[in-house]
Amino acid sequence: MKGARRTDGPAWPERDTLQVLHHDTPRRSAKDKVRGAALYSHDRRVPGMLYGRLVSVPVPRAEFEVDLAPALAIDGVVAAVKLREGETQFLGQAVAAVAAETPELAEDGARAVKLTFRELPFAITPDQALAEGAPQVRRGGNHSKVRPKGDEAATEEALAASDAVIDVTYRVPVQHHVCLETHGVLCDYRGGDEATIYASTQMAFGIPGAAAEVLGLDEKNVRCIVEHMGGGFGSKFSLDTPGRAACLLAKQAGRPVQLLNTRTDEFRAAGNRSGSIRRVRAGANEDGKLTALRIECEKLGGIGRGAGGPRPYHYEPGASYFEERAIHTHTDSSRAMRAPGHPQAAFASESAIDELAYRVGVDLVAFRKANLSDPVWHRQLDRVAAEIGWHDHPHRSAPGRGDGWIAEGIGFAISAWGGGGHRGAEASVSIRPDGGVAAMIGIQDLGTGVRTLVAMIAAEELGLRAEDVEPRIGDTILPPGVGSGGSVTTGSISPPVKIASYNARKAFAEHLASILDCPSERVRFQARRVFDADTPGRGLTWEEACRTLPKTGIGGHGAWDAKLQGSGVHGAQAARVRVDLMTGRVRVLKMVCCQDSGLVLNPLTWRSQVNGAMIQGLGQALFEERVLDADLGLALNAGLGDYKIPGTEEIPELVALIDEEDTREFPIGVGEPPVIPGPAAIANAVHNACGARVRSLPITPDKVLAALAKLEKEG
Amino acid sequence: MAEGRERDAGLSRRAFLKGAGSVAAGGALIQEVAAEAASPSRTIDGATTIEFTLNGAKTEVEVEPRTTLLSALRSHLAIPHTAAKEVCDQGSCGACTVLLDDEPVCACMTLAVLVHGRAVRTVEGLAVNGELTPVQRAIAAEDGTMCGFCTPGFVMSMTACVERNPAASAQELREACRGNLCRCGTYPHLFRAAERVSRELTEEIR
Ligand code: FES
Ligand code: FES
Repeated sequence: MKGARRTDGPAWPERDTLQVLHHDTPRRSAKDKVRGAALYSHDRRVPGMLYGRLVSVPVPRAEFEVDLAPALAIDGVVAAVKLREGETQFLGQAVAAVAAETPELAEDGARAVKLTFRELPFAITPDQALAEGAPQVRRGGNHSKVRPKGDEAATEEALAASDAVIDVTYRVPVQHHVCLETHGVLCDYRGGDEATIYASTQMAFGIPGAAAEVLGLDEKNVRCIVEHMGGGFGSKFSLDTPGRAACLLAKQAGRPVQLLNTRTDEFRAAGNRSGSIRRVRAGANEDGKLTALRIECEKLGGIGRGAGGPRPYHYEPGASYFEERAIHTHTDSSRAMRAPGHPQAAFASESAIDELAYRVGVDLVAFRKANLSDPVWHRQLDRVAAEIGWHDHPHRSAPGRGDGWIAEGIGFAISAWGGGGHRGAEASVSIRPDGGVAAMIGIQDLGTGVRTLVAMIAAEELGLRAEDVEPRIGDTILPPGVGSGGSVTTGSISPPVKIASYNARKAFAEHLASILDCPSERVRFQARRVFDADTPGRGLTWEEACRTLPKTGIGGHGAWDAKLQGSGVHGAQAARVRVDLMTGRVRVLKMVCCQDSGLVLNPLTWRSQVNGAMIQGLGQALFEERVLDADLGLALNAGLGDYKIPGTEEIPELVALIDEEDTREFPIGVGEPPVIPGPAAIANAVHNACGARVRSLPITPDKVLAALAKLEKEG
Repeated sequence: MAEGRERDAGLSRRAFLKGAGSVAAGGALIQEVAAEAASPSRTIDGATTIEFTLNGAKTEVEVEPRTTLLSALRSHLAIPHTAAKEVCDQGSCGACTVLLDDEPVCACMTLAVLVHGRAVRTVEGLAVNGELTPVQRAIAAEDGTMCGFCTPGFVMSMTACVERNPAASAQELREACRGNLCRCGTYPHLFRAAERVSRELTEEIR
């Protein structure tokens, strides 16, 4: 058996010596999840708990007054609070909340709250916001200052000299996170000076301070528990409206209050991915070189700023110019959503690259490679091209037409991301005389498999199996974690867990030195045994060794260390689609993603992440769009029956490939990058199939048919 | 659906609807409903106690005509059963799927009073002595759970399918999940779980 290389300090052993890490390892929580034993914040029940409900004004903008008395007059309604005074700024903005003995009574209470309001003029579309005399959204005006970047004159000059030029506009609508667990908090406060908050959050350690402030308690006495949580995707970083309301209601009632957003609350007021309108002018020469790229970007983030994204999207034009401004509307603020700004930026840039490649008649993969200098993308593009069947595809530099009924096409796009961790996280590992090992860090698991990683890292270091280690996470009484955003979690928690495990192993080795009668450096931990490296045939089983420990056991602590993680990943995706030329319906047949991310700690959960990201990309490409009635200010699809997300019938064959040529020996986060290229790759595939270029997401049948009709007209 | 079954339970749909109406419309209908009181059906007006079996155990709970089965399970039972999740509250996502007399239903779309005298099964009741069922084992093994919030619904949909047809194909299992949504995107893993279940059960039958 290959022995793991043990160096002086903690380090990731070489890949081929790893026993636990880098091997498919079952998700730690899977059994609890399939048994219904995993407890989410939605599922918590504590004695005396009340159910809360938010109240909002049914128009986007109003001057209002709230009378809570009618709600409190209902038998069983226990508390009611105001959350806001004066004006509302968007549909669904909560103005009050009630708490009652049952969810049904809470609903009665919410309905009974008397709202007196005067509707104010609103601007909920960019056109309304930019119109003359538009109602003001933000004090600074309805759009931000234009922020230019790059050399405008050189770009214009290069455009004028290009063999082929495009001037087109790409649109991405506002889309939603749709975490299946809505935002929600149980504030377990029963009077007194302590509270426990069960929150569906991506940042457990951000909750106690915020809740303490609302409750008027000392932060030290407020604990946050996130044992399991039903998805975040960037939308769950703060105590938020439901959390603040739950705390206020609990404080008033002196009883615990659970307040969960309804699905309608969630769509109207719990965040979204900002929309974007990008006018792109770009040029290329017949030799396949990108000459110039000019992008004017408008970000649609409601009352918020929206997310921009890199510019240009990794391709290297001769000259480039970029400008960006935010347009504000009376709609809920956008929030971070899985790779904020990137899918929008990639959709515009990758579509433009594609359009130019066709104009100059160059193979789509060759054109991309000619305008990207980083060889990692070259090999990844080659790999996905091979996997999707590019080389046997008939339409590599001109779109197909189909057979009159259906058409099949292939499209590509790339991505990049950071994915490094940051300081702040700490971990402890303790070994008990009964052989039990606990690895502790207060980090939350959003469904990415962090809990499993924690156990795997400790097991690798101690020569155990992953199932021998009990991971304890999701609780602020444990050593601190970090917020899970920006794909930082793996890079933030792996170093401290690794170091804590290393320190525990060192301490244990010192303890065992006298027992094994060898210097502590010679003590080895392998395959659930400990032994002297010089006499590997002898030694103790793990349990025997642990029995020699004092009652209190032994352990180690670790803090984050930059050396044990890294940053900087690339990805390439290819999609194969089938377009029904009669109905305009697009079916994705296959998606392939090749992604580097350093040392992949658990390939099983890595693939799940990458597959899940491709599926979300598919949803953004084909289905997802918030629809508002511009005149009435209504949200027309604020429910899962109308806002379509991918279901079992739309799932293509998915291939998630680890880029094994990435030999960096440290972990990097992978949550976000694979969600970026999908929409662009699918849009490009639709065009490749039948010549219909749809420049606005989602690619619905009506848009495909319109593009086909235009094509026919142009002959 | 079995009208007879409802009658057995002492609740006819018509009488129930009238009962529900009486809650909303006040006294006017009560008279009319009272006239029907001589019939074997029962009228529900306000809170009432229903009896049903939950995972094989006799259970009683007080509900109103408007209380959904999902709410009854999650928030009204003496021992809350929270595995079935409330996600959309409109029958669109399947996260609240439970078995009512062995048929999968959306608990969010089923009024609690309608399960009076009937048998409800939830994910909590599947494993016997901690031993997972083939469906549960396969979903866990194929990494069909990420955040896991959708998982109980998928487990129940597949369970109903294999109980109806122990020789169900992977494709049939997949189709049984058409009403279930997963935002994390575990579908390909769930499909592999479906293949595994179908393989294992077919082998068993042979
Ligand atoms: S919660 Fe019942 S179907 Fe979605
Ligand atoms: S695993 Fe998260 S929604 Fe399905």
